[in-house]
Amino acid sequence: MNPESSLRGPSAGAGAGDTSSAVNPPDSVRYAFINEAIARSTGRPGALLGILEAVQERNPRKYLCADELSYIAAKTNIPLSQIFSVVTFYALFNLEPQGDHTICICRGTACHTRGSRTLLESVRLELGLEETPGQAGADKLTLTTADGRFTIRTVACFGQCALAPVVELDHRILGHMNERALAREVEGLEQERHE
Amino acid sequence: MSRIEDIGIFNAMREAGLAKVLPAMPRIAVGMGTCGRGNGAEGVYQALAHAIDRDGLDIQLAAVGCFGACSEEPLVNVWLPGQPMVILRRVQASDVERILTDLSRGRITPDLAWCKIEEWDHITAHLRYGVGFPELPLWSELPFFSGQKKIVLRNCGLIAPDDIDEYIAVGGYQALYKVLIDSKPESVIEQIKASKLRGRGGAGYATGIKWEFLAKAKDDRKYIICNADEGDPGAYMNRNEIESDPHGLLEGMIIGGYVTGASQGIVYVRHEYPLAVHKLTRALEQAREYGILGANILGRPFHFDIDMVEGAGAFVCGEETALIASLEGFSGRPRPRPPYPAQKGLAGKPTNINNVETWYNIAPIVLKGPAWFTEIGSTKSAGTKVFSLVGKVQNTGLVEMPLGTPLTKFVYDIGGGAAQGRTVKAVQTGGPSGGCIPHEMFDTPVDYETLGQLGSIMGSGGMVVMDEDNCMVDIARYFIEFTHSESCGKCVPCRVGLDQALEILNGFTKGTGTVAQLTLLNELGRMIRDTSLCGLGQTAPNPVLTTMRHFRHEFDDHIIARRCRAGVCHSLALSPCENSCPLHMNIPRFLDLLKEGRVDDAFEAVFLDNPLPASTGRVCQHPCDDRCRRQTVDAPVNMREVHRFIADAVLLTDRFEPLAARIAARKKAPTGKSVAVVGAGPTGLTAAFYLALLGHEVTVFENKAEAGGMLRYAIPEYRLPKRVLAQEVELIRRLGVKFQFGAGVGSAVTLNELDEGFDAVFLAIGTWKESWVYLPGTELKGVLPALPFLESVATGTNPALGRRMTVIGGGNAAVDSARTAVRMGMEATIVYRRERKDMPAIKEEVDAAEQEGVKFLFLAAPHRIVGDARGNVKALEIAKTRLGQYDASGRRKPVVTAEIVRLDCDAVVLAVGETVDLDFARASGLTLHEAGTFVVDRFTMETSRPNFFAGGDAISGASNVSNAMGFGKKAARKIDERLMGVKRFAGISGGFEYSMEPPETTSTSPRHRSAELTSAVRVKGEDEVMVGLTEADAADEACRCLRCDIRG
Repeated sequence: MNPESSLRGPSAGAGAGDTSSAVNPPDSVRYAFINEAIARSTGRPGALLGILEAVQERNPRKYLCADELSYIAAKTNIPLSQIFSVVTFYALFNLEPQGDHTICICRGTACHTRGSRTLLESVRLELGLEETPGQAGADKLTLTTADGRFTIRTVACFGQCALAPVVELDHRILGHMNERALAREVEGLEQERHE
Repeated sequence: MSRIEDIGIFNAMREAGLAKVLPAMPRIAVGMGTCGRGNGAEGVYQALAHAIDRDGLDIQLAAVGCFGACSEEPLVNVWLPGQPMVILRRVQASDVERILTDLSRGRITPDLAWCKIEEWDHITAHLRYGVGFPELPLWSELPFFSGQKKIVLRNCGLIAPDDIDEYIAVGGYQALYKVLIDSKPESVIEQIKASKLRGRGGAGYATGIKWEFLAKAKDDRKYIICNADEGDPGAYMNRNEIESDPHGLLEGMIIGGYVTGASQGIVYVRHEYPLAVHKLTRALEQAREYGILGANILGRPFHFDIDMVEGAGAFVCGEETALIASLEGFSGRPRPRPPYPAQKGLAGKPTNINNVETWYNIAPIVLKGPAWFTEIGSTKSAGTKVFSLVGKVQNTGLVEMPLGTPLTKFVYDIGGGAAQGRTVKAVQTGGPSGGCIPHEMFDTPVDYETLGQLGSIMGSGGMVVMDEDNCMVDIARYFIEFTHSESCGKCVPCRVGLDQALEILNGFTKGTGTVAQLTLLNELGRMIRDTSLCGLGQTAPNPVLTTMRHFRHEFDDHIIARRCRAGVCHSLALSPCENSCPLHMNIPRFLDLLKEGRVDDAFEAVFLDNPLPASTGRVCQHPCDDRCRRQTVDAPVNMREVHRFIADAVLLTDRFEPLAARIAARKKAPTGKSVAVVGAGPTGLTAAFYLALLGHEVTVFENKAEAGGMLRYAIPEYRLPKRVLAQEVELIRRLGVKFQFGAGVGSAVTLNELDEGFDAVFLAIGTWKESWVYLPGTELKGVLPALPFLESVATGTNPALGRRMTVIGGGNAAVDSARTAVRMGMEATIVYRRERKDMPAIKEEVDAAEQEGVKFLFLAAPHRIVGDARGNVKALEIAKTRLGQYDASGRRKPVVTAEIVRLDCDAVVLAVGETVDLDFARASGLTLHEAGTFVVDRFTMETSRPNFFAGGDAISGASNVSNAMGFGKKAARKIDERLMGVKRFAGISGGFEYSMEPPETTSTSPRHRSAELTSAVRVKGEDEVMVGLTEADAADEACRCLRCDIRG
């Protein structure tokens, strides 16, 4: 038996080509979940981070909806402004729905010395994603294709430096990547969709 | 499982745990850290589980963490009772069946076995696995592990992180037990102070003193925090430590909690480390179950619990006050200190924060005592540190070394140096807060103080090795971009300063920087460092300041010459091949012209980029191959042989006359300026061609009878036929270049005469003096240097040298000499002091020599030449060498041994390198380097004498044809600029229309190579070995180009 086949909870496995999973549950279910998350964390250090992480993780599109943030603010008595400050400060949180597949390119030093910038460029071009003006040439970015199929993003470092350059595809770590191998992986996901 | 209430239960548990670690049956443990998983360890584990289950085998299967050798993953430990534990490397699921079959016969699969462990010091316990398998090396005998001292990593990769029993079996929680039962908190703090343990997170503050602050703080609630927000890109030791041995961390923290009077601990761990989060969660549950966390720990009246918080991806949260803000539900922005966390920390309560690795050192110090700890490491930096050795080294992974170990040990002995054919340039330590240490300083001991003096820091232990493919300006820009995007924005120096610094650095990498900006950047960096609020801003300029200090020449290249040698800064290059070419040939252009079937245009384009295209098409070292992006698909485009094809298609056919006329028609109007070029080698010819093209009157002075230099007199006919070179020289002559042969400068003409007669003088005298080896017997008949030997053959005066020749050296001249000797009917042996892979000669030439019957003797240094009674060479005695320490070239230095071997021979050729003719150089009155080469401004090529320029081997020392020509081309540009006062060079090779559309398809063919004569045929004469590409192959080869020059 593999002791940790699903590290991210039940939602991690879903999503690949399964559009039904991309529908957010009704408000009542979502709010009940938020209540639970709040109950679990209240009084503990890092409570707000924990609540936000849990709520985002539960969302099939892996983002935080505005109504959820308001709800959390009301329930925890934390000013909505502070919650917004936190959500926009940390790289983990998204305010926009994420694609069916997430391609995360590591921009750590070891990956950089082994050409991860070129990987990022090539996959961005492959998916036809334009650089947004504010993000031109930036290392830290999150871009989602118009059809919602793919999100590409970067991470400061996965801590997998010995496998550099590293790309994470839907929580699967791919080491020693090159442009060609990455393109094949992305094509593979595209084909999955047509099958 | 019951709670541990007394020593009896504790000991019983230990026994039970030992039965898991050393069971009565074979044990197989798969390394399942994140690195292992990334390399397929899950598949291996599943295959093993399936086979064991299927066959009902009595084998214990375990999932352990990572043993540190990440580049050899997946690692699998195999243990048979009574035998050593054997580590298998690079195991794949498909290997599982044979591993199990071998194991059932008491064997270890030989091709997977890497090393063995007979006994292991877990520090907290000593385990004996067994003795045996004499054919396998001990783990500590492998270079990667040599000198490693595993204290922090004591359990990693050996015990199952999921199982607290295994941790207890190897002595885990003993230190905690000891502290709770017999020690006073103050005495433990004294021990930690005496151990000189310093914080392993980067700043290196004394841990014991920090603990004392917290212990003395009076409050009803106190916190200790483990900072596991390992955000330094390039460092991942904390991830592995937690994944592989989570209880080691908990034990350190519980001891810390007890002695400082804290009631709660918090681990703040990166969200990006899901496996670490998982392992830690499980460890916390188990510890609570066993009564090691919670109320009445180990049956004593001590209550302590640990919470885990997942960080959400903010580098600045590694700063302690920012981390606290983050825990409190705010954005992670730092706060001014004082008050320090020990006074007012989390929720206003006294708080102590230590890095993951610091906590791992606590239990060993408690058990073994501070004296044991201070014995390890250097005086001021005690103990070990785990480093992540990554980047451009062959062996990557986590290494734990005593502090004070020199960098060379890491890079070469453990890391195995750079990949084949590359040279290590620098090591970056300390991540975005650290700096780059250049190769020349690799004897630096790695400790807190020394790294600080070099402008870097230890940081969390990231060690990223860079080679010549890495651009240091880009690295500086990369780090500033990182800290710029991670700056919390609270204080102005960091927020605005880094923005400005990034702007400047972006300009450098795009070729718009100025020298004034360099000064500005330096000032800006110092200002940010001195005035920022927190550690992020205060250290952010380090990468820039250190690269500017140690790699200033690369900044100059970007700013003054607008070049990036490493080829990383794309804006400064047309394409990777163009950037690597010393002549900066527009390679995609001629490939496309050929593809379009326009051979004449292709020739014109090639010749305007490189006036010796047929010669270089044969003998160039082709650095373009190494850079070609097509090699990520299959193999690089054979650019060298394509331009040889294009050149031959004109130079050796009736297309010569019309094309010579076309090129001559491009000559610019006469300028009225005259230039003297001294030396008609590749450098001089190249400069003469361009200067003539630009409309100057050019006269070349050459003391030999013909033009071509080394191409004519040193490179043998079978590599470069003289008629090919003659056609190139003829075309250059058609531009109006005048040659004066037999005109030795210094004898026939003086420099003063040249100065008077010409507006500029270019010295391209090459390196024609053969270095001499001072060993007994060089006065004997039959001993001669390589150049005179090759020259005599090239001029048709074949010397009679007997039957057997020994050549000393490993460069192209050595290989040329040996192959020439074979063609003269001799037996030839090359004696080289290093290994074959270290030979500077072109690899294809070495292979060809071997095919032709040349023998090689490696690791051999000349000792003495033995003569007969008549003074003729009879034999060469050589001393065998062994490889010692690494030298400045990143190669291991040969050390002569006492073993002498005698090699009978009739002639000895010395091919140990060439130098400048010192007599001439000294007489010139110009400023020289110690080696006799001319000192020039590397951007303008000017010597110390006005109007005198120099280039080629005469300034660089013996190099190769393309490098020499590159200097000639650059000198022509600079001389023209000086004479005319305007830049006119850029336009002279333009005017070709060709496709700038990305090719819809590229040829799928593998790399085309020229046919060659069989070795049996070629040793019989001087016929050219490489026949050249066929027309069809050349055209198809051109279609293999991916057109990196087309952007956007």
